[in-house]
Amino acid sequence: MKPLTNLRMSWRAIRSHKLRSTLTTLGVVIGVAAVITFVTLGASLQAGIIGDISPDDRQNIYGWAAPEESSNQGPLAGAQPVFTQADVDGLSEQPGVRAAYGYTSIPTQSVGFGGERIPRQDAVVATGVEYVDEDEIADGRRFEYGQREAVLNPAMANAFERNVTVGDTITVTVVGGFAVNATVVGITTDSEARSPFEGFGPGPRVYLPLDPYYTQLVAEAQETPRFPAIVVEAESIEGVDRAKESTRSYLETDSDAQEQAEAANLTYELQTSTELLGQLQAVLDQLQAFVVGIAALSLLVGSIGIANIMLVSVTERTREIGIMKAVGAQRRDILTLFVTEAVIVGIIGSILGTLLGILGGWAGAQYIDIPLTYPVEWFAIAIAVGILVGVGAGLYPAWRGARTDPIDALRYE
Amino acid sequence: MDSTGGSAAVSLETVTKTYMVGEPVHALDGVDLEIPRGSYVAVMGPSGSGKSTLMNVIGCLDTPTKGTVYLDGEEVTTMSDRERTRIRGEEVGFVFQTFNLMPRLTAVENVALPLVFRGIPVGERRERATELLERVGLGDRLDHVPNELSGGQRQRVAIARALVNDPALILADEPTGNLDTETGENIMSLFEELHAEGNTVVMVTHERPVAEHAERVVHLLDGRIERIEELDAVGAEVES
Ligand SMILES: Nc1ncnc2c1ncn2[C@@H]1O[C@H](COP(=O)(O)OP(=O)(O)OP(=O)(O)O)[C@@H](O)[C@H]1O
Ligand SMILES: [Mg+2]
Repeated sequence: MKPLTNLRMSWRAIRSHKLRSTLTTLGVVIGVAAVITFVTLGASLQAGIIGDISPDDRQNIYGWAAPEESSNQGPLAGAQPVFTQADVDGLSEQPGVRAAYGYTSIPTQSVGFGGERIPRQDAVVATGVEYVDEDEIADGRRFEYGQREAVLNPAMANAFERNVTVGDTITVTVVGGFAVNATVVGITTDSEARSPFEGFGPGPRVYLPLDPYYTQLVAEAQETPRFPAIVVEAESIEGVDRAKESTRSYLETDSDAQEQAEAANLTYELQTSTELLGQLQAVLDQLQAFVVGIAALSLLVGSIGIANIMLVSVTERTREIGIMKAVGAQRRDILTLFVTEAVIVGIIGSILGTLLGILGGWAGAQYIDIPLTYPVEWFAIAIAVGILVGVGAGLYPAWRGARTDPIDALRYE
Repeated sequence: MDSTGGSAAVSLETVTKTYMVGEPVHALDGVDLEIPRGSYVAVMGPSGSGKSTLMNVIGCLDTPTKGTVYLDGEEVTTMSDRERTRIRGEEVGFVFQTFNLMPRLTAVENVALPLVFRGIPVGERRERATELLERVGLGDRLDHVPNELSGGQRQRVAIARALVNDPALILADEPTGNLDTETGENIMSLFEELHAEGNTVVMVTHERPVAEHAERVVHLLDGRIERIEELDAVGAEVES
């Protein structure tokens, strides 16, 4: 049988059972689309996170003190307020260290501007001047330590009906109802998280100097205010490991934190953003594998669907198979006809599925607001798998059909 | 090569076909038969006497339980499925009692079907099929599917299909069973033409006038050959 004739005959068989063929194809479409959507989302999510770490972020060390059982649970897990201003001042004197400063988020009820109050629990961060890099300021300047000043990111600045601009005054109301004012002195270039402490996604943020805001608002009652986290900036990316070592030894020997850490049996967690990212990536990879696994399962279900329909189709066409064999069709001819049918379904299904998956990935990325990255090699894999599913699922039914004895088949009613 | 099968178009040696349905049913029971090349043979017998089974065994569609079948001196009973399929497609033209047309293919496509499996290009297939359909008087029904044809027209499509590969051996199982007298006569003259062209024709029928077109009549009863009747040219019995 000529390949073109074979193709034409198989296509005709598919077309003569439109509804059945459509439903079968749908099984493959959904499977392939699910795989493509999820790998696209996974790839976009990962690319988004990796893209967030700017080079000068890679020389940062993020530190906190936590009970041993909290280790490896992500940034700030179990962090206790142990670091003093004296500790960060001492750390910034260490060799290979460019700057060191404290970090804490301030539990907030709302952020107010121009009579408008936006409830925000996680938006306000108190930290050092260097936390926001100079070149990350789009408008204005960084805040000054000890001043009642604030830097906002665009997401926060644009959250109010009238956009906040440099020179405006905002009101931060902390949990407990106490409100303080801050003059906005700078707006950042983007709304991305500026460190792993903030999490990895973008969001509205207010950056305030630890002094006076932390000391006044939260640690007012304490004799010496203590921060739950520190950021140490190494002088270079290459020097980050050395800086980490000297930070650890300083904390363990000369710091105010050590006394409390010993008393509460805390260990210092010191991690570079690369290390933190690695942990996060491992989690993401697992999640991705899990979701793609589920998607692959739906592809398997699709292939069982093809096999099932093909078996029905072979049985239903027993008499036709008998006729073809009676007039000279070899087993190979019958086999090819049915396998071709399954492969056509597989190809059409995986092409449509890929298109749908691309669309799904786009919609998903749009919805959770991450930049879109298409893992093109996966598309090729998905299409190949779709076709393989067709061959695999079609082979057994086709073989059954090919083996049919013509005389039995002709007698089949 | 076996001497008995030497020159005959078909040669059967003690062919038995037994079906086990509870107790054995002998559809064919030790049939010895020789059909010379170029001859015209009619097979008659009551319903269930094994006529269709005999045709199937000769046409390589069915394998006998016992015995040997030779086509053109070649033993087909020991051949592979592949080789027997080739013979079915290329050397035998089979007209089935129940037409066996493909329901979704048009008349032309049905007739051309055996050519498909020989790898003949589509243009040539259509040309040859059209030619044959015209010959059986269906030139105006080329693109009709079987459902849109009368019983007699379907029978003629089936005959055209049997002829498409130019087979030397034509096996027809009640080819006029579904036709009115006039169309039946046309078909009969078609078979006579084919016979005159040197083909071997074996035809099952239960109508005496139809059988009288043949040179010999094989009478089957309960799977055995009851008698073989030789007819002269005008259809009268010569000896029994
Ligand atoms: N697959 C089968 N299983 C069991 N018995 C069968 C089978 N095929 C045929 N037979 C039996 O073999 C015998 C011969 O059948 P066959 O079809 O050859 O008869 P026939 O002479 O062609 O009859 P008719 O004139 O009605 O077509 C019948 O008794 C039938 O019941
Ligand atoms: Mg019969």
